[in-house]
Amino acid sequence: MAQRVYIDADVLILGGGTAGCLAAWEARQVGGDDLRIVILEKAFIRHSGCLSAGMNALNMYINQGTPEDYVSYVRYDLCGAPIREDIILSVAREVNDTVKIMEAAGLPMKKKEDGRYLNRGKWNIEVNGSLLKPITAAKAFEAKAEIYNRVYVTELIVKDNVCLGAVGFGVRDGKFYVCRSKVTLLCTGGAAGLWRPNNRRDAHHRIWYFPFNCGSAYAMCKRAGAEMTSFEMRFVPVRTKDTFSATGTLAIGMGAPMVNALGEPFMEKDPYYLSWGGHTAPTPIRMLALQRETLAHRGPIYMDTTKGDPAKVIGLKGQYLDMSPCIVLYWGCNDIDPSKEPIEIDGGDPHMVGAHAGMSGAWTRGITRETTVDRLYVSGDALGAAPSRFISGSWTCGRIAARHAVNALRENSCQLADIPEDDLNKLEDITFGPLKRYEEKVKEGVWTDGTLMGGITAKDMESRMQKVMEEYCGGRTHWYYVNETYLNIARKHIRRMRQDQLQYLCASDLHDLQLAWDVINRLDVCQLVIEHISFRKETRFPGYVNRSDYAGTDPDFDCFINSRWDPVSDEVICFKVPYEQIVKGDRKKQSI
Amino acid sequence: MITACKGVCFLMPPKVDPTKCDGCKGESEPLCEQVCPGNLMTLDKETMKAVIREPSDCWDCMTCTKACPRQAIMTVLQYQLAYFPGKLIPLVGTNSVTWTSIDCHGRVERFVMKTLASGDDEDED
Repeated sequence: MAQRVYIDADVLILGGGTAGCLAAWEARQVGGDDLRIVILEKAFIRHSGCLSAGMNALNMYINQGTPEDYVSYVRYDLCGAPIREDIILSVAREVNDTVKIMEAAGLPMKKKEDGRYLNRGKWNIEVNGSLLKPITAAKAFEAKAEIYNRVYVTELIVKDNVCLGAVGFGVRDGKFYVCRSKVTLLCTGGAAGLWRPNNRRDAHHRIWYFPFNCGSAYAMCKRAGAEMTSFEMRFVPVRTKDTFSATGTLAIGMGAPMVNALGEPFMEKDPYYLSWGGHTAPTPIRMLALQRETLAHRGPIYMDTTKGDPAKVIGLKGQYLDMSPCIVLYWGCNDIDPSKEPIEIDGGDPHMVGAHAGMSGAWTRGITRETTVDRLYVSGDALGAAPSRFISGSWTCGRIAARHAVNALRENSCQLADIPEDDLNKLEDITFGPLKRYEEKVKEGVWTDGTLMGGITAKDMESRMQKVMEEYCGGRTHWYYVNETYLNIARKHIRRMRQDQLQYLCASDLHDLQLAWDVINRLDVCQLVIEHISFRKETRFPGYVNRSDYAGTDPDFDCFINSRWDPVSDEVICFKVPYEQIVKGDRKKQSI
Repeated sequence: MITACKGVCFLMPPKVDPTKCDGCKGESEPLCEQVCPGNLMTLDKETMKAVIREPSDCWDCMTCTKACPRQAIMTVLQYQLAYFPGKLIPLVGTNSVTWTSIDCHGRVERFVMKTLASGDDEDED
């Protein structure tokens, strides 16, 4: 038995990232001095997660128009998709306030001569965000949240559909952490690494999304029996080739259009793309355009940076140093001068994110951010059906979630629950399972290369999972195409891995245990993805998921696809949930 | 805000220079180990110097490189992605970071990027 650390919290925040840190801050504002706010963070809060490399822009800011206009834009940018307009509206109404708060916290904002924030396009503003994460974390320090770094949360404690806390292990100390809570906010990010990355071997983590986000929020919600949404709506990034750095910096910042090998700005020619707005077409359509152009043998595809002001290239490098420094070195070592030659772009491996141009996550009640499991809230990438919140929207969303959670805690006089020792022992066994198994299996024998005769590693399992997803669930090398036959094969293998193969998963040390849990969580997310894609028998988001057996949209699927996992049958049951249009107007047009 | 300089000055997964790294003696763990978002940096108990346990798992966020008090860490681009040699060196100041980029031909560019809003704008040009 591991040494135990018992923690009691009024508000338990899982994941000290973009949403979590601001949630802690807001909880203190509304909850007062006596509220016990606890954050469990997998890494080190000042430098963890998606913001660790920095970011050069905030992609959600109401520069012009109204919050309703922003909703209209988000809806358009996802092909007129059903989105949770209520949630996005609630964020859009507060996002500018949040940015003010962060500016006061020390975030360097770029400004125009008139003192207004320097915008990049309609909804973005530029920042010097290389220290975005430490500045964000400082809000949690300011809130005097109790922060536990290097604690990997493995399971929520749920009884009778009420979340009572969470358990995990210390990545450094190997202790078993038991945290009871009155309300719990889960914001541990989205999921990278389900499909095979474009780069292999030593560059396999040179991907768009933060590779250490393994979908633990989705997996824990799923296992807790929460209703999940939109897992067929994955995000496929079009980014600079090899480095997967942002293209908005080029497209919006430099006015660089996509061109093919012939130098043609193909988005401006084809009537289909023109009907969607040409080179500013919705994000999935731009992905689709890159696919179609490449498959028509007119690749490679570029962003044409050569027509702009060469002086801007210096500025361009600076902007990348604030968020993706490696591209500056990449250009230097490949003799690329963006003012003289266009920048090659490519499609990457799909990612599951709720706050970027994807919308997978937990389904929530109204605008409370409470999941269908009582006292369990989600925010950031874990919150489903409300895309395009990005960083500034995730900060804001964390604040809103915390406010609702603290209010509910008071109104319902939530109390800490007694958790039976037997339940904790079971959770401890599950948490340390792969580590214990290693100790047993190592006695059965070790090959001369040091690998176990009787077990497999997390890396082995990850490779197998990525192969299955890549080849049978629409990976990059299949140009994101699937049909039911492929999906059935993916379903069969992922089920086999989850039901039969996890018994061989071994971890030799605590770092390995972290990797083992990453793959356990990823496999749960894979199951959700496969079932959701299979259920949506149409192609609503071409470019993201292309169904060769159901091309085109079907009005019967103009709705959300939600699901719930049945622990007895191990089936994910999908069902339709109606979309409610709140902001009037043509869903396939921007209002401004 | 950004200064490009003609000087002469260039590498991604973090490489630790054994002649500079002292394992952050006096700290409970090396600073790079403390900060790595991927839990990849660790102390080699034999050499008492920092080492990345799995170079291929690095996201190239450069947090360790910036955090190292002895500038012992160099971020190197994977050879499959870019030619050798080339370096990108961040020097962290109070309110800014100075990046020196040395391409594979030895050409140097320098960039000063603001990191924190401050009362004076001495970092800007």
